[in-house]
Amino acid sequence: MNALLSMAFRNVLRNRRRTLITLAAVAVGITAVGGIRGVLNGLQDSMTRGSIRGTLGAMQVHRTGYLANVMSTPLSLDFANDDALVKKVLAVKGVTAVAPRIQFAGSLTLSATDQDDSPEALFFGATAIDPVLERQVCPDRWKLFTDDTVFDDTHVVLGDALAAAFGAKHDSEAILLAPDRDGSLNGELAQVGGAMRAIMPGEMKIAVVPLSLAQKLLRMEGRVTELAVAIDDTSHLEAIASQVRAAVGPEFEVHTWAELAPERKTIMGIQNGVSNVVAVVFLLLMLLGVANTMLMSVLERTREVGTMMAVGLTRGSVMVLFLLEALVLGAMGAAGGLAGASTITFILAKRGIHFTPPNSSMEIDVYPFMTAAFTVGVMFAAVFGAVLFSLYPAWRASRLRPVEALAGR
Amino acid sequence: MTTSLLLALMLTAEPPALKEVLTKYDAVMAPATFKATATMTAHRDDGTTRGYKMNILKGADDKSRIWFQEPAAVRGQEMLRNGENFWVYMPNLKRALRLASRDNFQGGDFNNADVLRASYAADYQGTVKEDAAKPETWLLELKSTNPDTSYDSIKLWVLKSPLGIPVRGEYFTSSGKMLRSAEFSDVKDFGNGHKRPSHVVMRNEIATQRFSEMHWDAVDTAAPVGDGKFSLSDLGH
Repeated sequence: MNALLSMAFRNVLRNRRRTLITLAAVAVGITAVGGIRGVLNGLQDSMTRGSIRGTLGAMQVHRTGYLANVMSTPLSLDFANDDALVKKVLAVKGVTAVAPRIQFAGSLTLSATDQDDSPEALFFGATAIDPVLERQVCPDRWKLFTDDTVFDDTHVVLGDALAAAFGAKHDSEAILLAPDRDGSLNGELAQVGGAMRAIMPGEMKIAVVPLSLAQKLLRMEGRVTELAVAIDDTSHLEAIASQVRAAVGPEFEVHTWAELAPERKTIMGIQNGVSNVVAVVFLLLMLLGVANTMLMSVLERTREVGTMMAVGLTRGSVMVLFLLEALVLGAMGAAGGLAGASTITFILAKRGIHFTPPNSSMEIDVYPFMTAAFTVGVMFAAVFGAVLFSLYPAWRASRLRPVEALAGR
Repeated sequence: MTTSLLLALMLTAEPPALKEVLTKYDAVMAPATFKATATMTAHRDDGTTRGYKMNILKGADDKSRIWFQEPAAVRGQEMLRNGENFWVYMPNLKRALRLASRDNFQGGDFNNADVLRASYAADYQGTVKEDAAKPETWLLELKSTNPDTSYDSIKLWVLKSPLGIPVRGEYFTSSGKMLRSAEFSDVKDFGNGHKRPSHVVMRNEIATQRFSEMHWDAVDTAAPVGDGKFSLSDLGH
């Protein structure tokens, strides 16, 4: 076997030009596949980070049935924001911070600058957050705010779409109107503190409202509809979520960010699907190249095979020899390709890719990376695939009849 | 004998013109001017209820105003409709803010237009026909001709006699989804020849646990209604 392997190596190196071309094809293909995957990894990581640190938190606690009822009146599924509950959540290992929130809907009227006495009201969805506690759970939320934005107990921050619709200026007076917890209308005054960029393109009219103001508006003093939870290590998300679930009891439901934003998971699923198809197509093309090289090699070396058989090499050994040659080709190509892909991802990760998606006003920072599992998987696919695609040429070589092969027929 | 003959005549009668039925309906549900007191009870999904007491004033030319008395949370609030525009006056802010006609009327399952814009003759076209399931009524199938109406289409069952008194209504979005349904009952003579259902139950067909009852305690169609009550600047006074 060792002898066969060293022969295989030497045979691969015999026709250097052809081997180089084949290796180049395999390496370029794998570099491309690895590079695409690496950038995609970075993009998805950035999306995940954006969701967890920007808006959702790693997980959220609600009254049981809240998510199923979001369409009707979630305000009635509220709970007292008491220390006991927060302490229970904070006591779970891995939980680093908890922030209370209220999600509600209402309409917003800006005081007109001219003397038109009835300015337009616009419907909007609001997230009420505590200006201090929220920073510990979703610090990146502040990155969404435009420069000079003020967010405190008297200032609201309007989403891009809402701010643009109003042409809102800093410190203009904003009147929030909303049905309270019991459905009765209530209104409160606030100031516009600034605007907030959209994370996903095409976001609805939204605003961020200080929790204390929302509690007054909704007549829900001391009550909230949501606790957003930050954790130290997102790779333990599911485990921590189930511990939080156990800690808060059946009166509450706990959802991870991925359950809360299933569309983001779906987008990632589609991205993965497309990149997998591209990878498989690239791999097939590369392996067909390897198969072609091997077949050429068998046809050229008919006499040689005849000679080997004449001196006693078995059919099996001939087959193994050619398969080993394919294996060496595949392994060398994959190693080269993965080295290329790693170099590219490393350079890109060092610099970061910064871009602003169309329809969004927020820059996205992508730091590509490749996982060990992916690297091993590609290596295996290339080596195993090269052997598989060379079964036919190798079989043909092993079927040659020595007498005819020696005659070059 | 005479009654059955009459009944038979009634049952085989040709449907009247839609315009005639809707004019009658409007006269029942939204007389030209009136002063009224009403109570709405909102039944919420969690089983709780909340009662709203209000005074209603309707003026000519699509103007209406409501003063809320109860509960304490909304005392002092007022609503005003002038044509297509709706406002709510918030006493704590001393300001009038715009409302959408499609928004819920306080915490209930009526929308603002159901209460403040109850006439249909001007905004809807459609057909009048028999409904075998409710032989004492005409079934009106109405389609909005005005983009500002809060329902795209309405199915309305009104009594054949006295013509125009509603029994049931079903209210649809443009996609054909039923948003609400109403049952009208307890027809009462409020004086001055004005007869109307004094009780309306509005069911929310989206959140089906919810419904609201509107009870008309008094309706005075002869009360003098001054035009000055329907200006924005009068709100809060």
